[in-house]
Amino acid sequence: CAQYDKVEKSFYQIKMGEVFETVTESTGYKFFYEASEVDVDRRVTINGKNLCIQDFLKEIFKGTDLSFEIIARQIVIKKNRKSLPSLTPQSKVNAENPQANLTGTVLDEAGIPLAGATIIAKGTSEGTTTDFDGNFAITLPAGVTVIQVTYIGYKAKEVNVAGQTSITVTMEQDAAALEEVVVVGYGTLAKKKVTGSVVSITPETITEVPALTPESALIGQVTGVQVQEVSGEPGAAPNIRVRGSGSISAGNDPLFVVDGIPISRNLTSSSQLGGINNRSAAFQPPTINPLATLNPNDIESIQVLKDASAAAIYGSRGGNGVLLITTKKGSNGEEGVFSFDSYVSMQSVANKLDLMNAPELIDFTRDARNNAYLQAVDGASVDDPIGPGDRGNANYELPESFLNWDGTDTDWQDLMFQTGIVQSYNFSYASPIRNKTSFYASTGYFSQTGVIDKAKFERYSILLNLNSQLTERLNLDLRLAPTVTENQRVPANSPYFGTPPGIVYSGIVHSPTVSPYNPDGTINQLNNQSYLGGGTTTASNPLAIIEAVDDKIFQFQTRGNLGLTYDILPELSFKTFGGVYINLFNQDFYRANTLLFRNSADGNPYGQASSSTETNWLWENTLNWTKEFGDHYIDAVLGYTAQRDNLSLQRVLANNYPDDLVPTVSGGQVFGGTSVKEQWSLLSSLFRVNYSYKDKYLFTGTFRSDKSSRFGQNNQTGYFPSFSAGWRMNEEEFLADSETISELKLRVSWGQTGNFEIPNYGAVGLLSPQNYNLGGNEINGLVQSTIPNPNLTWEKSEQVDAGIELGLFNNRVFLLADYYDTRTRDLLLNVAISSVSGFETTLRNLGEVKNTGLELALSTKNFVGDNFTWNTDINFSTNKNEVLSLNESNEPIYSSGSAGVRHVTRVGDPIGSYYGYVVDGIYQSQEEIDNAPLDTQAPDPAPGDFRFKDIDGDGEITPDDRTVTGSYFPDFTWGINNRLTFKNIDFSFLIQGVEGNEILNLTSRHMKNGEANFNSYAVFNERWRSPSDPGNGYIPRADRESGNHGNNNRPSSFQVEDGSYIRLRNVTLGYTLPTDNLFGSKIQKLRFYVTGTNLFTITDYLGYNPEVSSITTNSLTPGEDYGAFPLTKSFTLGLNLKF
Amino acid sequence: CSEDFTDLAPISNRNEADFYNEPEDFEVAINASYAGLQSTGTYGRGYWTMFEMRSDNTDQGPDATGLARQYTEINSFTEDALNEQITSAWSDSYRVISNCNVILDRISEIEMDATLKNRVTGEALFIRSLVYYHLAIGFGNIPLQLTPYVSGDELVQVDQNTVLEQLVTDLTTAEGNLPVSYSGSQVGKATKGAAATLLAKVLLTMGDNGAAETVLRRIISDYGYELLPNYSDLWGVSNENNAESIFEVQYISGGIGQGSLFTNDFSPSTDLQTGSGFGRNRPTISMLEAYEDGDLRFEPSMGATYVNLEGEVVEARHVRKYQSDLAVENDSDINFVVFRYADVLLMLAEALGETPESYDLINEVRNRAGLPDIDATTPGTFEEKLLHERRVELAFENHRWPDLKRFGATAKVIEAEDFITSTKEFFFIPQREMDINPNFNQN
Repeated sequence: CAQYDKVEKSFYQIKMGEVFETVTESTGYKFFYEASEVDVDRRVTINGKNLCIQDFLKEIFKGTDLSFEIIARQIVIKKNRKSLPSLTPQSKVNAENPQANLTGTVLDEAGIPLAGATIIAKGTSEGTTTDFDGNFAITLPAGVTVIQVTYIGYKAKEVNVAGQTSITVTMEQDAAALEEVVVVGYGTLAKKKVTGSVVSITPETITEVPALTPESALIGQVTGVQVQEVSGEPGAAPNIRVRGSGSISAGNDPLFVVDGIPISRNLTSSSQLGGINNRSAAFQPPTINPLATLNPNDIESIQVLKDASAAAIYGSRGGNGVLLITTKKGSNGEEGVFSFDSYVSMQSVANKLDLMNAPELIDFTRDARNNAYLQAVDGASVDDPIGPGDRGNANYELPESFLNWDGTDTDWQDLMFQTGIVQSYNFSYASPIRNKTSFYASTGYFSQTGVIDKAKFERYSILLNLNSQLTERLNLDLRLAPTVTENQRVPANSPYFGTPPGIVYSGIVHSPTVSPYNPDGTINQLNNQSYLGGGTTTASNPLAIIEAVDDKIFQFQTRGNLGLTYDILPELSFKTFGGVYINLFNQDFYRANTLLFRNSADGNPYGQASSSTETNWLWENTLNWTKEFGDHYIDAVLGYTAQRDNLSLQRVLANNYPDDLVPTVSGGQVFGGTSVKEQWSLLSSLFRVNYSYKDKYLFTGTFRSDKSSRFGQNNQTGYFPSFSAGWRMNEEEFLADSETISELKLRVSWGQTGNFEIPNYGAVGLLSPQNYNLGGNEINGLVQSTIPNPNLTWEKSEQVDAGIELGLFNNRVFLLADYYDTRTRDLLLNVAISSVSGFETTLRNLGEVKNTGLELALSTKNFVGDNFTWNTDINFSTNKNEVLSLNESNEPIYSSGSAGVRHVTRVGDPIGSYYGYVVDGIYQSQEEIDNAPLDTQAPDPAPGDFRFKDIDGDGEITPDDRTVTGSYFPDFTWGINNRLTFKNIDFSFLIQGVEGNEILNLTSRHMKNGEANFNSYAVFNERWRSPSDPGNGYIPRADRESGNHGNNNRPSSFQVEDGSYIRLRNVTLGYTLPTDNLFGSKIQKLRFYVTGTNLFTITDYLGYNPEVSSITTNSLTPGEDYGAFPLTKSFTLGLNLKF
Repeated sequence: CSEDFTDLAPISNRNEADFYNEPEDFEVAINASYAGLQSTGTYGRGYWTMFEMRSDNTDQGPDATGLARQYTEINSFTEDALNEQITSAWSDSYRVISNCNVILDRISEIEMDATLKNRVTGEALFIRSLVYYHLAIGFGNIPLQLTPYVSGDELVQVDQNTVLEQLVTDLTTAEGNLPVSYSGSQVGKATKGAAATLLAKVLLTMGDNGAAETVLRRIISDYGYELLPNYSDLWGVSNENNAESIFEVQYISGGIGQGSLFTNDFSPSTDLQTGSGFGRNRPTISMLEAYEDGDLRFEPSMGATYVNLEGEVVEARHVRKYQSDLAVENDSDINFVVFRYADVLLMLAEALGETPESYDLINEVRNRAGLPDIDATTPGTFEEKLLHERRVELAFENHRWPDLKRFGATAKVIEAEDFITSTKEFFFIPQREMDINPNFNQN
């Protein structure tokens, strides 16, 4: 230990109280104890020369029933739990004693009465609370001689009152609660001194809902942080946004810093994360989550740095917020703690789509064919034969299986989906300090099978965190986290015509009249949707896709870091920190011969093997200076860091497999391959100073400069300053005596952060191969594929934040409110340029986006008692996203997602708003059509078709009438979490909601198009049939050739659906066994719990998931649903054991 | 150290800053220009969509959803400026032009062997002109970009004739620069004949028949092409780059991204062992009826029926010129013949007008098809007879729509074919370009 942590004196037969005083004088450590527990007059003898304070204290308390704990230079002495008077024998002894009346007063250390303290007769439900003057009166049941006193912000206390009728209890402030420390990046800070917007998430919250990923623990819990489960696929990354989206082309993911190593979501390039070569970019499955390698049980805390003042220390990477994740350390206690945590979940799809059954679909199809026929053929009659060939055009006829329905009514959703199982086992040991060394070690296994057969994610993790005080001044911190993950992906995230076809989409478009299996039990591929004929569209059998596609990903990832801290002076330390992140990635993809693509009669086997190695290293050197003199406190950090990433990827493609016996690339003919090598680097200097005066006036300033290889030669370096100030009004005299207001802090901050999430060589004009062939041989060709931009530079966010923290009644009610305004300038924008240039886009710095929002978090401890507690956390966040400018002429950016241009990013609207025509009702009569503005996009509208809105009012419906029809950004999000305990039972439930977001339901293009060329959403049962039978008023008529008539299926507001929802995110019921009685002292804690997750969701959205976003890699095209992996609900049984 | 640490050049990609310096670089660069002719928006799909489906030669089968719907719209003149087929024809064409522009710009600054420099310059001028010819016929009023685009350049539309005049200059230079023929592994590159054939076509389009005649006679006398004895020998993978062929877009199969889509696109549904037949670019009834009895060209050019996988004979018109054996879907070996000698003969007849020599030229082509001579006494005007001959001889080779326009026959033919009557002479400028360039005028 350090010199100033040593006791330099020896004592001979000195009263303990005097020893304490001497130690406090020489070291600054203060002692806290309950006078009744510590005999200060006991005389002790001790040779304290050069003893560390810990060892010194151990020596003092040797052989006593006292132990101690050091918290923030305060020594808290307490009686060992084990030696507390046990209730059981006493109650026997006193069984015949009559009940006793007890009165008393509860005071704080300063002698001020505490109002509202809870007094409970131990082991009973008998209790009371103190009045305004801290007085109480209680009748103790027969045999009870111990009372328990609790008060928020103070340590709970047990007092033996045997034989007394009146007592005074002095409560001791809970030093841990007061001095709560938060991690702020390159250091820690007492929570009360923080001036930025920082939110801490405790391990309790993280493991409360069995979290599939660390991020999903944040769902509905933190203001200003929106976590969206865009896919239910095992291992898929949730979408996470801190205070909205500021960036258009660069990433919007926050920076994750795991034990000091910054890990960007797209640290790993998307080509590495599961890309299949011949799969269209829009139909790639969601990226694999790098954080899925983290075992949630190992996480000690997550801090979210929301505002620029907090995040600016991460400079160019802080623009999207920062999540600091810290893993657990060794135990502070005398003994080590073993923990075993395990749960098993059963998962199923959260909801099923409401689709047509066979009779409904046949009726719908007949209607659609008749309507098309009547309109196209003069003299046609509904009663004309409608069988194959009868009307001369398949679009006017019914397929044979519809005409003579055999009664088959398959529910394809039931066939596709199964129950998925999640299993998690985690075993850990937190060691005590021995030989100045402590460690935390854990090993975990996690496995999740999907609700679609074959989908699977497995994780094997090991974590070792070791801390050792090597010498008096030198501390070593070593962390090592190797993890193996295995992932079997299924192609569920693409439309039925993707390659490979999307399982879910193929299933839901499938006609219920088709039987899934042939009579011999094999999967029906030659007599299915593909072969219905008669103007129906083809799709592969989803069961065949599941069977035929293998997509296995194996990753071995290691985080390792070593930090050495040297105390130069008591107040000055130097830390050198080296970290490395290594990711070895292997993917084997095979699409078997057996899969018939839609109506192909032959398979088209395809294999792909990819492997990559990524090494990312980091070296940080920081100087920390902390000094308290008088009323002043200064804490400063100065640092210099370097980080570099090397990625190397090899990929081999094969086809022409003769059979499916060898499903690796060696089984077919290798026809191509690539090798990609990329690097990036970042060189930074950083500085931060925290200053506080009397803990009342707080100030923080940070500055960082970053220089990155990713930017143009002329503009590689960016500077990111921030300032913030806080005023803790509760420390002012006029509030010091307030009994209601316990904490009142005002904060303001301003800062600049950046975003460097652009391609590694975005500033360089790259050449790409474009080969030709002559004489039967391939010859090399190269063409410029990007335009160089030597001026390319950082995207800069400037944020102003004002916050208030208000604690009432000893923080029993705590309100946190923040308002922020972020302007992101110099957007890294892939600007659309005239294709006359030979390019479609070029990366430039243009435009400005604004995010403003209000965040409210209210925590209340509604009921505090020993037997019953009830806490409520309510959070509410708004964020408004608005594009302020785009380019010189502010031309809108039209973006193609999966199905043509359906998004626009334009000034005044949110990024990536939906774009299309606006449905303005349904034509009820020909007269109405004649009087309406001419629809140039509808060749021949008829009653029952959509009337579209003439937005520009020019009297015609033209492409100029397309406008913004909605946005993926919600108006607000909220969550209410309640935690209740009653004796040994704990109960919690979390309800969360999102309001005002829209989803672009692209499945409507096929299943809500009125053409009846697929199975359709059941809403079309309520379609317009005639003026007298207009259905529900917003569903148009059935028409197989809508494109030749009303063109109802054009991109319009009809495909944009409300994604607002209210969800019961989590309900947990737990029971902690009274271990003292059951197993003696060996077991510290044994808890069983059941949890339901996503049990119900109230939404109007027709698809599986009102938060879906099929394309996760492009900020300009959010919110598309084009056949996503459905969200799951789950039921969990789990146990926590500590011994 | 800090300078080097953040100065990281691409490793597995070339960088334009250190390319276009050595003579070899230009050989590699020009190959990419040829490859641009394979793209979906150019010969892959775009050009047959613009010049065959738009005309009375072909239509789109009964399928009317998705991609098929866009074809149907083009076929029936109901497409809008958002049509993705037309948009990609525009952008893929300009991508080729841009690459040629970069080559022409950079090569002029380089000291290198004059023969190679001339040849690459000629190739770039020819390829650029070939693409501009399609844009000029298809879109009419287009920006004529002849240098590498610099960010912020104002683009100005010019009319069709301005484009064609530029092509005359460029193609004249190209014809001078390029060799008459290549040997060995160079066969397939642009020749004097290719540049001259396009030059003649441009001159005819401009109405300068005299100049066209000079060029055409030079091709016939100096460049050594001949008609193959059998029309059917023109087609099929084994007959590529033959003595009649003047320029072909080269495709090879093998899963290396060099295969063509034609076999899958043009085959009727479900008759292919490999992948899907899409039945696109389906010959119309009038096309079917255009063949005279005994015309030997019918069989190799199109079919009215096919035998499906179950062995049944099914009625479905389809193009046969680009059929080949397929190992893998959308990876056909078959080339696209851009120019061949029969076209030169018929163009000369066109340049001459109604003369005995013109009938001789037409009859040379007819006789090979097993058809009797025609002459001035044969019913119909000379233009009608020539246009008919061109239609049948060059069916599905992307000549019909330019021919109809050159002969002033679009309105007549299209009305006769019961297309939706339209005055739409040009395709819409893609909406994307209209949005980005506010000064553009829509067609």
